[in-house]
Amino acid sequence: MKQWMSLAGFTLALALVAGAFAQGDRIRSIELLSRPQAAAPQEFQSAQLIAQAWRELGLDVTVNAMPWEQLADVVWYERDVWDVTAWQMVGRPERGDPDEIVFNLFHSSTAESGYNFIGYNNPAYDAVAEAQRVETDPDARQAIVAEAQQIINADQPYMFLVHPQVAYAFRSDIWSPDSIVEQNGIGIKNFWSFIGAQPASDQRDMILNSADVVQAINPFYISGAVDSWITELIWDRLLRVGPDGLPQPWAAESYTWVDDTTIDVTLRSGMTWHDGEPVTVEDVVFSFEAPMGGEVPMYAPFVSGIESVEALDDSTVRFSLKQPSAAFLVTSLAKVNLVPEHIWGPILADLVDDPDNAESYQEDMPIGSGPLSFVRWRASEEVVLETNADHFSAPSYDRWILRIVPNSEAALGMLRRGELNFLSAYAGDPQILVDTSQTEPINVVASTDIGFRFIGFNNRRAPFDDAAFRRALSLAVNRNLIAQAAYRGFAVPSNSPVSPALPFWHEESVMNFETGIDLAKSILEEAGYTTDGSGRLLYPDGVSETLD
Amino acid sequence: MPEQTVRIRPSRRQAFLRSLRELGHVLISDRYAFTGALVYVAFIVVAALAGVLAPYEPTEILFTPDGMLAGDLPPSADHPLGTTSLGRDIYSQLLYGTRSALLVGLVAAFFVVAIGTLVGLVAGYMGGIVDTILMRITDIAFGIPFLPFVIVLSAFLEPSIWNVVLAMSLILWRDTGRVIRSQVLTVKHRSFIEAARVSGSSTARILFVHIAPNVLPISLLYGSIAVGWAILTEASISFLGFGATDQISWGYMLQDAYLSQALSRGAWHWFVPPGLAIVVIVVAGFFISRGYEDILFPKLKD
Amino acid sequence: MRTARRIASRFAQMVFVLWAVATILFLVFRLMPGNPLVAYIDPTFTEEQQQELLQRFGLDRPLHEQYVIYLGNLLRGDLGDSFFYRDSVTSLLWDVFPNTLALTMVALIIAYVIGVLLGALLAWLRTSRFEGIAIPLVLLSRAAPEFWLGMILLAIFSFQLGWFPAGGAFTAGSEAAVGPGRFFSLDFLRHLFLPALTLAIYLHGLPLLLMRSNMLETLKEDFVTMARMKGLSTWSVLVRHAARNALLPVLTAFALGIGYSIGGNVVVETVFSWPGIGRLLVRAVSASDYPLAQGAFLMIAAVMVFMNFVADLLYNVLDPRVSQDA
Repeated sequence: MKQWMSLAGFTLALALVAGAFAQGDRIRSIELLSRPQAAAPQEFQSAQLIAQAWRELGLDVTVNAMPWEQLADVVWYERDVWDVTAWQMVGRPERGDPDEIVFNLFHSSTAESGYNFIGYNNPAYDAVAEAQRVETDPDARQAIVAEAQQIINADQPYMFLVHPQVAYAFRSDIWSPDSIVEQNGIGIKNFWSFIGAQPASDQRDMILNSADVVQAINPFYISGAVDSWITELIWDRLLRVGPDGLPQPWAAESYTWVDDTTIDVTLRSGMTWHDGEPVTVEDVVFSFEAPMGGEVPMYAPFVSGIESVEALDDSTVRFSLKQPSAAFLVTSLAKVNLVPEHIWGPILADLVDDPDNAESYQEDMPIGSGPLSFVRWRASEEVVLETNADHFSAPSYDRWILRIVPNSEAALGMLRRGELNFLSAYAGDPQILVDTSQTEPINVVASTDIGFRFIGFNNRRAPFDDAAFRRALSLAVNRNLIAQAAYRGFAVPSNSPVSPALPFWHEESVMNFETGIDLAKSILEEAGYTTDGSGRLLYPDGVSETLD
Repeated sequence: MPEQTVRIRPSRRQAFLRSLRELGHVLISDRYAFTGALVYVAFIVVAALAGVLAPYEPTEILFTPDGMLAGDLPPSADHPLGTTSLGRDIYSQLLYGTRSALLVGLVAAFFVVAIGTLVGLVAGYMGGIVDTILMRITDIAFGIPFLPFVIVLSAFLEPSIWNVVLAMSLILWRDTGRVIRSQVLTVKHRSFIEAARVSGSSTARILFVHIAPNVLPISLLYGSIAVGWAILTEASISFLGFGATDQISWGYMLQDAYLSQALSRGAWHWFVPPGLAIVVIVVAGFFISRGYEDILFPKLKD
Repeated sequence: MRTARRIASRFAQMVFVLWAVATILFLVFRLMPGNPLVAYIDPTFTEEQQQELLQRFGLDRPLHEQYVIYLGNLLRGDLGDSFFYRDSVTSLLWDVFPNTLALTMVALIIAYVIGVLLGALLAWLRTSRFEGIAIPLVLLSRAAPEFWLGMILLAIFSFQLGWFPAGGAFTAGSEAAVGPGRFFSLDFLRHLFLPALTLAIYLHGLPLLLMRSNMLETLKEDFVTMARMKGLSTWSVLVRHAARNALLPVLTAFALGIGYSIGGNVVVETVFSWPGIGRLLVRAVSASDYPLAQGAFLMIAAVMVFMNFVADLLYNVLDPRVSQDA
């Protein structure tokens, strides 16, 4: 009997040992990248919360915060070396059309050097992303975009966190509240507020703030987010995305579709450049042809669908497209800045023999035709623009001044003292802003952003190449907690790249997802992941760690 | 300050013991020095017992019973100093911060003093070409702005509290080095050194056994100031965003408070205590060094 | 003659230190890992374009060649172009350097005037009980982290009371911000007050303690005793002899202080959003803008080395007591 027992014990031990050998390797220590607290407090705090949740699954997680430039360097240029990163897509008016998000972010063609930096590769998804591009019937396209969102939900290439509600504020004793425009998915900090604001006092300067410095004031360069506020004001575009998210005529008086691939645009008459020269159809043709050459790479995608541009007479320009395009008005006509040929023609010609391109050229005195014109730029202090009284939509104040204020606390203090009268960048707690507005003449407007915050899994690297693993990690994190704790309630939980701020395109069904550590653990278990004696998570049987 | 003089005792080993005893005496008899030393002892005790005294892990994110984040809580019995915006216990962070502060302060001070003393001893005693080279290196160290140097260094290295220690070790030995050298110059021709040389003692022995004890008080003076410097520097670097984020230090706490808008929230219980802790420990160092002043400036004692 | 030789030798020493610092900086920036052009390259650049850029910045050449080019450029005052701003580093630095210099000088002057007066007073009241409170207070002011002090001053005097601006060097769009008279405009001084006060609180301890101990020492010297015996009033002894002799080390410390403060202002500039060279350095370092970081560092170092030289002259060459026994 005793012998039999010990035999059984021996067999059991043997089985255990064998079992131990069949087990997968321990998953290496995972590094979660984030921007530092100073630059992105909510992102940093989200990362801390996520790391704590993942640790409960048996992962060893460290949060590594680095400045944006260094983070971008690793994530963009060394696409094989990182594990997971906090990241964001910011809301831009052109992102009102889902194409940029649905195609660029997840299509495998952009994985090598484009926006699909996480290396997501799913042929079924590619097909859907391509299909929505050429579908011109809105309802049919809506269905395809919905399908895209469902595939993303199943695969979880990103772990979507929230669509933040971005809070901006202005002093209501200085700006008449009716004249400040809230643009859907963008907030009150937008072109339409900038040109439409009506002074309510004798303060005739709009004084705004930015935490980031201005990198460039250049119609051919999409640099920092702040820079684009300025380029939008100095340079006109044929169309503008209106407060409702739809394109409307701007420098174009009107446009007509001649057929599926041909559109005629009539230029508004009597426009002049800030140097007094008239704006001509030749300038328009030049503005669209310039990005087709090699010197303006960042704008090249926006004109890539154009077969030819030609001036029909001195007020009409005809665009012929390579194929029908659903998004052409938004992604091209409302995107490309009109630039004076007499200034940029010679500059671009000179650049042909230079390794640099138009992006690194900085005019001393930028010249556009927009509602505000350039006055001065002191890199660490401010950018000053003044009203272009000759413009067809000139603002009714005198100057637009962007102050560089590196932190939220100082910006808030300045707003309270009236040193700023339009808070156009605020990374702090929106609730503090709201509380302040109870006692001071300050209006706060929080709007749900088109953009979203997410955690990018590096789909190229184990264990993140496994959709089940990604799903488990994603479901381990309570999105309401992220929205409440890190974003102070000023955010909507997210599970889709298309924001609820775009109700037509947003697919509501993917939003019904449950989270919980136990749920995550059961998904991992089902997919074959186990834990060792110390609670550390192991790969499924036979899988070994290749990246230690 | 070349006029500084140290009372030199002609005996060898006793000199060392005697200067130690003298230091001990100063610590007890000077009320500034005594207070300073007392503060240090208190902080050391807190640092050692942080794990026992602190009610929570300093980086643990806490939740309320109903599953919500326990963030921005005002001081209460559970959280004597409240919680941070991310639901971490401020009191526990303050206690654990003592560890980083003492660690950074004492290690940095040790290296600053050790390197500076060594350079000063060798340069002063050897003279000639060795002296020239060492002093030119010291000049270069004096030409490097310290805080910008730490910033540049931190940018290239992983964020860590040790960057401050490294930077201080690379740069701040310069003051100690110069002063020790001038001290050695006044000592090296004294008769008991000559005697040692004649009797065939090795250079190392003369340096460390005969000369070093005489410059020890100055080394310690610079050391007690360097402790404060290191803690202040670590705080500045953290505040500028180049510090470690996974290691709780008072500098990190202040940065966290500032970025979480403790000022606007009126959360004085958050951003005042770490600042005060820094002030107290740095002043304690100054107090001790002021006590030493009595040894260094005997002329001032009537 | 002897003095001239001493000055020349000190000057040579200064040039040597500058060269050494520049060399160390070159090595630090070139030997560090990572692509030095990170901040310059954007996602659309092809491999070929990147190579071209490396070539243009001379980064494809062997290290020693790069070093020679670097030193040559430095001599011509050419610090290269900022990757981030795509503008010449020299012009970016000159934009903000006067702001930093103004802040430093004003803070130092306030600190030294107050420090010297209080120091003299303390020496005078050596035995009074007053000292027992004053000295710990002075030490406290030197032990408080500058940014913490700045935060509290900012919270009280700007956010709460609204007496002073919350940051920056000028009111938005101020025309006073352009032109040579900018540093004397009332607007500038109003913005300068809080950051300068913060710095001055930190800086006044050194001249105070220095003045005090120097005066105490001088008061014990024979010539003071002699003067007293000659029947001069205590006050005139104090002012004519003791204070005058005690001032030279303070003046030396002032010169050194300029150099140290310009590098140390970084945190105060950050708290008060002061457009200075320190903030530019921090910005450049976190943006991996190597040419700008290098330029800002060199500029701060150059000021520091030069002020060391000046202090050296003041102390070792001009002080008759020191030169006599040299």
